[in-house]
Amino acid sequence: MPHSSAMQSSRDGSQDKNQLLSVVVDDDESVRESLPDLLREFGFAARAFSSAKEFLLSGCVDETRCLILDIAMPGMTGPELQQELKRRGKEIPIIFITGRRDETIRVQVLKQGAAGFLLKPFSDVALLAAIKTALRAN
Amino acid sequence: MEEQVQDPAQEAKRLQCCINDLVGVLALPAIWRGNEPSQIVQILLDVLLRMLDLEFAYARLNDAFDAMPVEILRVADYRKIDLPPQELRNILGDSLAADAQSSLQIRNRLGVEEISIFLVPLGLQAEIGVIVLGSNRVGFPEKADSLLLSVAANQASIGLQEARLLSEQKRIAAELEQRVAERTRALDQINAELRKEIAERKLAEQKLRQEERELKRSEVYKAAILDSSPDCIIAIDHEGHITEYNPAAELTFGYRRNDVLGKPLANVVIPPSLREKHRTGFARYLATGESKLLDRRIEMTALRADGSEFPVELTITRIPQDGAVAFTGHIRDITERKRSEDALRVAHAQAVRSEERWRSVFESSAVGVALADLNGRFIATNSIFQRMLGYTEQELQELTFIDITQEEDRNHNEALIRELLGGQRQQFQIEKQYRRKDGTFVWVRNNVSIVPGTEREPRYLMALSEDITQRKLSEEALAKARLELAKVASITSLGVLTASIAHEVNQPLSGIITNASTCLRMLSADPPNIDGARETVRRMIRDGNRASDVITRLRTLYSRKEPTLESMDLNEAAREVTALSLTEIQRNAVTLRQEFADDLPPALGDRIQLQQVILNLLRNAADAMSTIDDRPRELLVRTERDGGNQVRLSVKDSGVGFTTQTADKIFEAFYTTKTDGMGIGLSISRSIIEAHQGRLWATRNDGPGSTFSFSIPCWHEGLANAEIRVNRADPSMDAPHNDAA
Repeated sequence: MPHSSAMQSSRDGSQDKNQLLSVVVDDDESVRESLPDLLREFGFAARAFSSAKEFLLSGCVDETRCLILDIAMPGMTGPELQQELKRRGKEIPIIFITGRRDETIRVQVLKQGAAGFLLKPFSDVALLAAIKTALRAN
Repeated sequence: MEEQVQDPAQEAKRLQCCINDLVGVLALPAIWRGNEPSQIVQILLDVLLRMLDLEFAYARLNDAFDAMPVEILRVADYRKIDLPPQELRNILGDSLAADAQSSLQIRNRLGVEEISIFLVPLGLQAEIGVIVLGSNRVGFPEKADSLLLSVAANQASIGLQEARLLSEQKRIAAELEQRVAERTRALDQINAELRKEIAERKLAEQKLRQEERELKRSEVYKAAILDSSPDCIIAIDHEGHITEYNPAAELTFGYRRNDVLGKPLANVVIPPSLREKHRTGFARYLATGESKLLDRRIEMTALRADGSEFPVELTITRIPQDGAVAFTGHIRDITERKRSEDALRVAHAQAVRSEERWRSVFESSAVGVALADLNGRFIATNSIFQRMLGYTEQELQELTFIDITQEEDRNHNEALIRELLGGQRQQFQIEKQYRRKDGTFVWVRNNVSIVPGTEREPRYLMALSEDITQRKLSEEALAKARLELAKVASITSLGVLTASIAHEVNQPLSGIITNASTCLRMLSADPPNIDGARETVRRMIRDGNRASDVITRLRTLYSRKEPTLESMDLNEAAREVTALSLTEIQRNAVTLRQEFADDLPPALGDRIQLQQVILNLLRNAADAMSTIDDRPRELLVRTERDGGNQVRLSVKDSGVGFTTQTADKIFEAFYTTKTDGMGIGLSISRSIIEAHQGRLWATRNDGPGSTFSFSIPCWHEGLANAEIRVNRADPSMDAPHNDAA
């Protein structure tokens, strides 16, 4: 996958039609800045939103092939967004990322069909593996 | 008898002589005019002796005023005899009693020859006297002699009569003059006496008028005194009859003055039962002058016109006057006074009982009771109070409560007293330390109030003083235990926070790792994406700093430092805590709003301890909203001034809130409504705030949720060098009674 094109798409917001769209939803700005760049290095198109509500209203829910979702967020939390998407019949593979080791939440979201659960900080390899697993399963 | 004429010439000569003699005799009155009878007679006898050539001439003059007769005798010079007239009267003897103008022959005892005596009466009946002439001539007296003698006797009689008259006139005049002089003297004396009498009378009249004026004035005074006297004044005479009866008496006894004047006192104002005693006493006084009642104030019963009896106070005085005795009685109706006295007696008895009860309460009270004047000087103290302080009551009466109050409590205590005296407070409560006589300290809780004054008693202060040393020691032990617990809680909350903090650190770490991975990939590309790599490195530095900040805050928050009260910025402290808690807050889907006052003055506090309190309040608020789904989870942290010298921080949530039933319990240790809490957070927080001389409290919001607030004193310049009384709950500090000792 051409890195430059991924970077390109991240810079100007446009995306290659052949590229799969991966979306980051996190209230932490550093995550929203760094993660899409890495995803583009992986060859994905990438977009980032600061809240679940923002994502739901973005109009790109249907195109999203992989959702990288923070658990604790103001307003609607990550697991709540998972429920909402399920309610809407959107079968988007979701990889949850969190800074808090909370086994209860982990079990809960996995039961609800989460494709992955990464504890911050995680390596690029771990993320890529999780995305690949998720896409393959989907 | 017939004389024979001798020689005519001789005869003529003799006749001529006779005529001359006669003229001489007739001229005599002109000589003796104005003379005394004796002088007249002397002149006459001398003239006759010489004219008639007599042996002697004698005259006896009868005094006109029955005095002794005057006798004069003249004897012829040649006889050379000096014979007193009385002797001649003896010689003449009875011949003097012979009829007038008679002559007789008597033997001349003066010589040898016989002598002829001739008596010539003076006056018709010889009432003036008699002249006796003696001559040795024979035939004496001859006719010419008789004629001469007769004329001379007449002349002498007239002259003597005149002389007598003159003498009489003189005498009368002298007598008259004397009488006039005497009369004049008498009159002068009488006049002098009269003038004196008039002067005396005038004086007397003046005195009388003065006395009358004084009497009148005295009467007016007396009348005024009598009329205006509130006391009854009744005067009686020696018989006990009323002589004066003033208007007050009319009013009191019900008789009119005119109806009782002159009546016996006993029948008018003295009750029948006392009349006999009165009469006996009165009679005894009149008889012996002894009385047990005079000039003394006595109480007795009196009788009104309507027959009713009433108590009076009576003073009887004897009127100081001459004559019969009289008395005045001053009588005062003391019905009201008696009633007041009775009431007073009852009141006094009640007061005594009340005093005894009060004294009993005072003495047997379980707490110390102290009464002090408005300057704080002890007036009375009970035994508990005395035992508590180790002083006797007398020793305490030499002291003020300020004297025995620990210095650090004095200003506050005096300020409260001023407010009490100024009426801003009805009472106040203060916990403070008293210095006992032995120098040790005792903790007391005083309920101080002001006891209102009465007409006789000024206001005073009353303190109910409870020895709370044991409680204070317990509190200190509790505070110590709490602090130990706080340490545990701190550790516990550290554990709880670890996840949150880990997240807070992991967040930038995650960014760093992601950016590093991206950077490597960008640099490994062909051609390398240098711009992209630079951007990722910039982010890595930023996130690295962010992680560092978190660590720094964490270190500050959990570093064990001695609590110190210092000037601190409450906004800044709150800002740091909210930054640390942000993730936790956000994880719970809570919207945080901060309203920090821009002009907030610096507070006096221990920064770390206060941050622990704020953190606790934020966590509680987040927890209270964790189950809320039907409304926004909103958290407001606000700072503001609280009054003039305090700052306040409030944490307001929209959570489940608390009920009035739980309101009292939420600050108690180990009380919790949470499933995972220990219930010590608020208890510790309150201990910390109270150690800051502040206050922590909770209120229910108008809407959902609750607000927890604390306020603490502002820092000010004066505190910079002052010894600050720090957190007694902190075991690292000396116990207060030790450090003050």
